[in-house]
Amino acid sequence: MQKIPLMLAKAGMMLARNVFRGDSPVGMPICGKDTVLTDSLIRRLDQMDVQSVHVEGHPVWEEGERSLDDLLSELDQRFEKSLQNPLNAILYDIYRKHLTKSMES
Amino acid sequence: MEDKRSELKKIIMDTKTLPTLPGVINKLNTLSDNNKASVQEMAKIVSSDQVLSARILRLVNSPAYGFYKVSTISNTMILLGVNVVKSLALSSSIFAIMENKSVGLWEHSLGVGVAANLLAHKLELPECEEIATAGLLHDIGKMIISLKCSEAERDILTLVRDRGIYTLEAEQEIIDTNHAEVGGWLSKSWFLPEKLMEPIAYHHDVAKSVNHRIKTSVVHIADVLVKASGFGNSGDRYVPEIQKIAWDTLKLNEQIMVELVDAIEDKLVEVRNFSLEMMAY
Repeated sequence: MQKIPLMLAKAGMMLARNVFRGDSPVGMPICGKDTVLTDSLIRRLDQMDVQSVHVEGHPVWEEGERSLDDLLSELDQRFEKSLQNPLNAILYDIYRKHLTKSMES
Repeated sequence: MEDKRSELKKIIMDTKTLPTLPGVINKLNTLSDNNKASVQEMAKIVSSDQVLSARILRLVNSPAYGFYKVSTISNTMILLGVNVVKSLALSSSIFAIMENKSVGLWEHSLGVGVAANLLAHKLELPECEEIATAGLLHDIGKMIISLKCSEAERDILTLVRDRGIYTLEAEQEIIDTNHAEVGGWLSKSWFLPEKLMEPIAYHHDVAKSVNHRIKTSVVHIADVLVKASGFGNSGDRYVPEIQKIAWDTLKLNEQIMVELVDAIEDKLVEVRNFSLEMMAY
């Protein structure tokens, strides 16, 4: 999941979270999670003052952003001292899968 | 070595040397001991200190609690309970310093507050707000060490960097105590309730927690999770080991952890935005 400015949203991207009017997390959602964006939908959201949306995967790359390889090697470093603990090994695997999934475009 | 330890303990137990203990707290203590005092009366006392009210409201509206748009102290007291508000009032001056001085530790604390709250809700535990507060406050000892023994803090950081050990081990070596124990002393000197004191004092040694082992376990696991995610900066480069006693106390399993990691990572996006907004003030 990635949070992107509405300006960078493109038709075909899938919403990962409900969209609320004026980006406020309270109140009625105006567009549901799992909706596939279309050009007309993006225009409508723009008219309703939505500034940013959460979309599935990692479709937009910004300058200076770390790659999956970087993230995974940082994860390895963080777990360097505790992997012999079976519970930490479970957590390590969960994070590895989570990072891989969240960076898939 | 023993000197260093008792010196530090003395500093902490002597509340006068600590960052301002608001006079409001004394009045609040007197009132909350009196069963007849109403929430409205107590809220009025806190509201009389505008800076304090603003700080408390900012903490209540932080993602650690997930309420959003709580705008009055009396609502805060009803939502969080008088004890939690008292703890927030006590620690708000330390948080104010933390926000400016050590953003990394502030982000870590907020993150652990969020993670503890999510875990407590997931396990349907009672007193989620207390648990979130314990998460927010768990590293308060680090702040005290940094404020009161800045020289020792530098030595600790150097030792952690040079030898690649945990902060806890370095603290033990340099000041003959550690931030969890210091946090425990502070909780006692501030008369924080035991359900906050135990998670603060024992989040690195859950077995020592006797009366509030569930809350302590939640804070321990939340601390590990936030360190695993690499969010904020607690001063530690390495993820601590998950203590089996905490895992067993909470009856955790892989499935719960998968869902929890998803929920935490999701929420941490908000925490980052919140802390960026804070810094813009």
